[in-house]
Amino acid sequence: MSATAAATRLRDRLTTASMVGPALLLFVVMLVVPVCLSVYLSLTDWNGYSANPALVGLRNYFDLARSEEAIRAGWVTLVIAGVGTILLSVLGLGFALLVNGASRLNSIFRVVLFYPHVLSALVVGFLWSAVLGTSGVVNGFLTTRGAEVLPFLSNPTWALATLIGVLVWAGFGVNVVLYLAGLQTISKDLLEAARIDGASPRQTFLNVTLPALAPVVTVNLVLSLVSLLKTYDLVVSLTGGGPAGSTQTAAYLILWDSFHNNALGFGSAQSVVLMLVTGGLALTVARLRSRADQGVKG
Amino acid sequence: MSRSVRRSLGVVLGAAILVGAASCGGGGFEGEGSSGGSTGTVRMLVNITPNLTKGYWEELVKPFEDANPGVDVKIEAPTGQGVKDTLPQLLAAGNAPDVVETLMADKTLAPQMLELTDQAWTKDTPLAEQAALDGKVYTVGVGQQAQSLVFYNKDAFAKAGITAPPKTLDEMTAAMAKLKAAGYLPLQTAGDYVTGLQLLQLSDPSIASAHPDWYQKVAGKELTVGKTMQPLLERYQSWIKNGYVDKNALGLDDVNAQTNFLSGKSAMYIMGSWFVRTAEEAKPKFDLSVFPAPTETGQPSPGPQGVTMAAPYMVLKSTQQRDLSLKLVQYLVTDQKAVQSQLAQDGNFRKGFTEGLTPLGQEVQAILDQAPKHVAQGEGYGATTLPQGFNGEWNKAVQSLYTGKSAQDVATRIDSWMGSKS
Repeated sequence: MSATAAATRLRDRLTTASMVGPALLLFVVMLVVPVCLSVYLSLTDWNGYSANPALVGLRNYFDLARSEEAIRAGWVTLVIAGVGTILLSVLGLGFALLVNGASRLNSIFRVVLFYPHVLSALVVGFLWSAVLGTSGVVNGFLTTRGAEVLPFLSNPTWALATLIGVLVWAGFGVNVVLYLAGLQTISKDLLEAARIDGASPRQTFLNVTLPALAPVVTVNLVLSLVSLLKTYDLVVSLTGGGPAGSTQTAAYLILWDSFHNNALGFGSAQSVVLMLVTGGLALTVARLRSRADQGVKG
Repeated sequence: MSRSVRRSLGVVLGAAILVGAASCGGGGFEGEGSSGGSTGTVRMLVNITPNLTKGYWEELVKPFEDANPGVDVKIEAPTGQGVKDTLPQLLAAGNAPDVVETLMADKTLAPQMLELTDQAWTKDTPLAEQAALDGKVYTVGVGQQAQSLVFYNKDAFAKAGITAPPKTLDEMTAAMAKLKAAGYLPLQTAGDYVTGLQLLQLSDPSIASAHPDWYQKVAGKELTVGKTMQPLLERYQSWIKNGYVDKNALGLDDVNAQTNFLSGKSAMYIMGSWFVRTAEEAKPKFDLSVFPAPTETGQPSPGPQGVTMAAPYMVLKSTQQRDLSLKLVQYLVTDQKAVQSQLAQDGNFRKGFTEGLTPLGQEVQAILDQAPKHVAQGEGYGATTLPQGFNGEWNKAVQSLYTGKSAQDVATRIDSWMGSKS
């Protein structure tokens, strides 16, 4: 190899390193280190204060498997994520189709639909608790008319349904925007061809629009699922995990155990399990969607 | 991916794990500190509430700064939800404050805190000895918060034909029936932390009368929480069934519950003495009064009063300003004006500091003075403690009475939880 060629190769490598390096450093510091730290802490009995936490092996994971509260929080989280993801996708697509046309009114509707997403989840929670709480606006209206109070936040089943409803209300604006972006990419020629071939609006939607939106559907499903599996702040401001712990999500319980009960080792074990479940579910959804997309293409 | 890239990534990952492990396992946030000089900055992490604003704290320490030229007391607000979750974060980041307010030493915290046993001035501070761990003082406070209080609407009682506040729980139940018949919600409660706290506050006098060393007996497994509490849980369940508390109360937060009581919709509200300030500021249109939590039939009344330490302070062992930190804490818990200010600001009480007490405050002070004994409450403090997390678990268990569980279910649940913590 000539000296010039070697110098060129070195320069190329340095250029590559200078471009990749900062991103890699950020990735390591912001993601790899915290994850490794969580895994390490999950094997200790760290209480948040002691300087030298003792290694306890897999004890935290065994405790987690035996914890009725953690198992209940896991189920609550899965219900929220499952039902919420379906609702977000269906409503997101429905509203995107409604406001897809280019008109001034549609622009206003788009802003209105996206607006809840701009609000902080904490604010959303306080807002809806003022509306749906026992002495909130709705129940105030009902009681002045002699009707029974509706237990939006005081009955375990109602409280879970209310939480999912508010999560969907606060989050579906993003789905609408993504679906709208997907709808803009569908070729007008294809839609025109379907119309000329005599396809009904339903047939056009099922055979042209939906297949074309497949990648957006995948993105929406994965994003919604991941975000709902981490539900925390809305629980804090809307239900406080109650009544009787019925709306405690995994993320809420992690924070509660870690900081209220000073069990950071146990909380870290829960974080690791939540991370693995989230990653596993997200990959499964993406994989299933990918197979479905390939089926459509094939 | 080429072999060299894989190797490089492996090295980076390995280094990251080592850095992570070293940063948390290697210590570094448990120093021994130093006495420091006569000037410098003392960092104090405090609780921030609508009453205890940052501005209030700064005003509170200003006379201390004026009396000690060159000393700057830096007030720090919690970065997390509160002091409890902020302190571990600061410790882990190697950025611990010098003084911390709000928390009390337990077996977890004590190793990080400076022992104050040899500081003579701690002897005259409220509950210092009761809160000591193995005879060592780590926490000193400004005053006491009475816990077992029932605030009530005197007008509602008069309308219901109740001539004197109930002294026993049976009398209280009978009064509830009369109040309901008179058109009032007899007892105001709420979801959030309120449900479980109220039942603990109500149970303190009866339990302390029946079992003066209840905490020790629970720790020694001679008694269980569930079995001791079951009669009260059964009584509470009957209150829910009879409509003496709102069956939808769990959908209320503490602020709305207080508003309901102070607007005259409900007749009684069980709460700690900090409620005095809130209640008086609301200027209720009825005659507001307070009585000590009733005891079980056959027990003397008033019973022992549940109390907690108000505005507790600790000095961190790692402080580099030990002398100044101690001087500051001494000022905060012994200076007449500083104590008076803190008592007034957050509805706290201390024997000998009755100046400026409102009529309702005087009633609370009288209850504290007349109580035959002051006892720990909830998770407790010092040697009388239940496992950490008890208050939260108890609250959830009590709330499940509203969701169809029986008193027996609640007792079993709490005993099962206690068993898992032993």
